[in-house]
Amino acid sequence: MIWASFRLQRVQLLTLLGVLVVGAGVLVLLRSNMVDAITSAQLTQCAARGGSACASDAQNVFLADWSNLFQIARILIIVMPILIGVFIGAPLFAQELENGTHVLAFTQSVSRTRWMLSKLVVALVPALVVVVVLQYLVWWWLTAAGTLGPRVNGAWNPVNFGIDHVSPIAYTLFAFALGAFIGVVSRRTLVAMTAAFGVFVAVRFVLVGQVNRFVPSERRVAVDAPAARDGGLQVGSGWLDAAGLEVPRARSLAVSDACRTAPSGTPPGQEEFLACMRESGLMNSYALVLPESSAWLAHLYDAAIFGGFAVLLLAGTVWALRRQS
Amino acid sequence: MIPLSADSVGKRYRSHWAVRDCTFALPEGKVIALVGPNGAGKSTLLRMAAGLVRPTAGELEVFGTPVRGGTHPDVSFLAQNRPLYSDLTVRETVRVAAAMNDRWSAERVQEVLGLQAGVDHGAKIRTLSAGTRTQVAIALALGRLPRLLLLDEPLSDLDPLARDETLRIIMAEVADRGTTVVMSSHLLADLREVCDHMLLVDEGRVQVDGDIEEVLARHRILVGPAADESAVAGTLVSATRTQRQATLLLKDSGPAPQGWTDAEPDLESLVMGYLRASRARSSAPRG
Repeated sequence: MIWASFRLQRVQLLTLLGVLVVGAGVLVLLRSNMVDAITSAQLTQCAARGGSACASDAQNVFLADWSNLFQIARILIIVMPILIGVFIGAPLFAQELENGTHVLAFTQSVSRTRWMLSKLVVALVPALVVVVVLQYLVWWWLTAAGTLGPRVNGAWNPVNFGIDHVSPIAYTLFAFALGAFIGVVSRRTLVAMTAAFGVFVAVRFVLVGQVNRFVPSERRVAVDAPAARDGGLQVGSGWLDAAGLEVPRARSLAVSDACRTAPSGTPPGQEEFLACMRESGLMNSYALVLPESSAWLAHLYDAAIFGGFAVLLLAGTVWALRRQS
Repeated sequence: MIPLSADSVGKRYRSHWAVRDCTFALPEGKVIALVGPNGAGKSTLLRMAAGLVRPTAGELEVFGTPVRGGTHPDVSFLAQNRPLYSDLTVRETVRVAAAMNDRWSAERVQEVLGLQAGVDHGAKIRTLSAGTRTQVAIALALGRLPRLLLLDEPLSDLDPLARDETLRIIMAEVADRGTTVVMSSHLLADLREVCDHMLLVDEGRVQVDGDIEEVLARHRILVGPAADESAVAGTLVSATRTQRQATLLLKDSGPAPQGWTDAEPDLESLVMGYLRASRARSSAPRG
């Protein structure tokens, strides 16, 4: 049965193998070229620490050469799940149902469930392996670029978030299950491919950043940490009173409006403004920040949501195929 | 043991009943012709017997086991559209089918594939002629060593030579292994030579069920004057009347009255008579 599933998935499996071999080779080469480029331009310190260690000329030359490649690699990892959903998940059952070849399988001694699982495993596992390997290699490459690469934008950057940790796996599972499910329900390959594409893009777009609300934020008083320079994500801000309690937003807005319009008519300087705020009891401004170190939690929530969808869709696929006639 | 029986089986697609209230029990070791016009429910009946389609009402039993959500191990089904993976070669197709079965006879498959001109094992399915595709599909069906073989239109799309050869494969199977065969077809002339038993289905219902010889022997075709049918005895199945002459298909008729000629119907005219009758019934105003 496994051999049969392999044979029927041959085109897709060979394509995946090609993507894996070519992709991995190119990424390894790119990384080694880039490391050479960093060394020869004496940007090693800049890549490691950033900021003052970077001589602007060499850095600009490097970025002109490499930033497009970084973007392409990131986009590749972002789009791989939907490509797998559209080209592997959607036709998996839709093609059989469309051509009627499922009747051949359904009238042999293998059970429908076993036939389904065998097809699912043979189609899905290699796809996941390819995603994991390429995702790892891109991560490995971009990490070597340090502050010169896109990782400088931090783990909360939506594109960085989408290619990190377990998220690509979860998106792939979801896209694949979505394609398989629509394929079984619609029994039309083209419909399944198109619908899976549309639904995946919509769901993925709507859910971007939604998991962040489940991650506990840190309150940083402005004096200590002026902004989220350490890769954190600011999700809110406000003022604290003398007791260190948060001031209701309406009041802090009213006070800051009043302080901004000085009686003299000239806008107040920063010091004057802060002094004015303090007089009204608003002692310090603060920011609510999701620290970069909690990004893994958001990834787990993300994986739980997309993985949960995938499990539901796969269960639906099994159910729909079992009652298929 | 009864290879296939149905107890008031019905299948409804939305508001339309494809098969309705079918009850029958087929004899073992016979070749059964499942006849009826297009859309009569023949395919639906066979697909239900193969466990592909779940009946809306009633139940089918294969060798005493109710059919539920799967094909009975002793049943092989040849689907009308011959589902085969067109990108696979014949050799790969056989290997795929073997992998999907617990009981499998590679020799039987090779034997059937080797019949007639022989099938090229390296050829892709999509390059094969309709006749060869049917031969491959039958080979796969027989590889399961079935005791009940369900064939949905095994002869359609075949030229007369391939039709003859296909029938020969099926007949050899019956002779060698005593397999019960249920075969749907419109080609009544071909069926007459090979079938022992008939199941005539129309409008989703069983119209005639019996041994073909007995059924034919119980029917007469009487041709006589259209003006005077009063002397004719027996159950009138159907009639075609012109101004001067009436042709009547009768069941259990008495001796032909004077002025009438009397003949035993052939399978074709019998089937035609019943189909005409069921058409007339369904188009007649109800109530």
